Formats: sequence, structure tokens, C-alpha cells
Amino acid sequence: MATEAEQIAQRVPGEKSSFPALVLLAGWLVPGAGHLLVGKWVRGLLLFGSILGMYLIGLGLQGKIYSTSSGDILDLLGFAGQLGLGLLYVLARVFGWGASTVLITLGDYGTKFLIVGGLLNLISAVDAHSLANGRKKGA
Amino acid sequence: MGIQLTHFSAVLLFALFTSIVFGITQRAEPKMMVRFGAFCFVIFAGATVVVSWLMFAIKH
Repeated sequence: MATEAEQIAQRVPGEKSSFPALVLLAGWLVPGAGHLLVGKWVRGLLLFGSILGMYLIGLGLQGKIYSTSSGDILDLLGFAGQLGLGLLYVLARVFGWGASTVLITLGDYGTKFLIVGGLLNLISAVDAHSLANGRKKGA
Repeated sequence: MGIQLTHFSAVLLFALFTSIVFGITQRAEPKMMVRFGAFCFVIFAGATVVVSWLMFAIKH
């Protein structure tokens, strides 16, 4: 027989909670933060290191930071991918990191690192969301 | 800020980081995460080597 305090702590099926949404938002803004919030420290740190690594290599190779200003559909796709980096993308825009155009051959690789880093961050944020709402069973 | 990488080292780093994320997000058990991450890394790096030799063969 559960006590009154245990009954309050149990999640009611179908109950709406803002915690999974918070985890999703945190995971998008800061890579790995969603996993940290659900208590998966090792996974969170590995995700943070991996996505930060992609980001730093992308910037180091002088990859292009996309914006919406050009209006080109391919640039918009690149912008959508890099937006997945969350606050890292904002930092790059604010401080003018990265290149506005690709000037060297490896710069194109850098652009791909930045885009894929953003997409990987979105995947990890959704994974943290799935852990938070119980859809994915975390060991 | 600028770094110098060879094409192959760029591929290896790309494969490493991507495989870590894939392993963690696409499997539920830690053991399976490691196995799937290693599998992705081998596929990424191996496919690059194979396709590179294919391009070499086509050109020559």
C-alpha cells in the first residue's frame, strides 16, 4: 500500500508535465544538458564533448556560418541545420566566428562539421526528451 | 582560429564524434551503445576508404 507521499510522487498516466519539454529545450540550447537533467551524466558529457568537438573543428576549418539574409534555399537549409547547435550557433553569430564565405577547400568540410553538429544536437535533444517522458527506457 | 587537418584525419574525427552520438541515441543499453557506436565508426571510416579506392580506380 503506497503512502500518501508516494502517491503524490507517482506519475499519473496521461498527466501532462512540462519537464520533458524543459529537457528538450535545454538539450537543444546546450549540447548534453538534456541528458544531465534526466540524470544521465556520462551520456550528457559524451554528447557535449562530441558536439562541441564538431563545432570547434568546423570553426577551426573556417566553415561557413549560415544566416537567413541571402534568401538562397540551400543557405536556408544550412541555416536550419546549424540552428540545431543552439547557443553555440548564437555565440558564433554574436562574436563573428566562422567564415561568411568558404575560401579554402577544407572550409567546405568545416561547414559540414557545423551543420552535422547541429543535426546531431537535435537528435540528442530528442533522445533526452524520450528519456524524460519514459518513451525510451534508460539503463 | 585555424587548424590544419588532413582529409583522412578529418574523416576519422567526423566518424568518431558522429558514432558516439549515434551510439548513445539509437540504443538503450550501455553495452549495445558501445557496440553500435563502434559499428558506425567502422562503417564510416571503411566506406570512406572503399569509395576513395573506387574513385582512384575510375580515374586510372
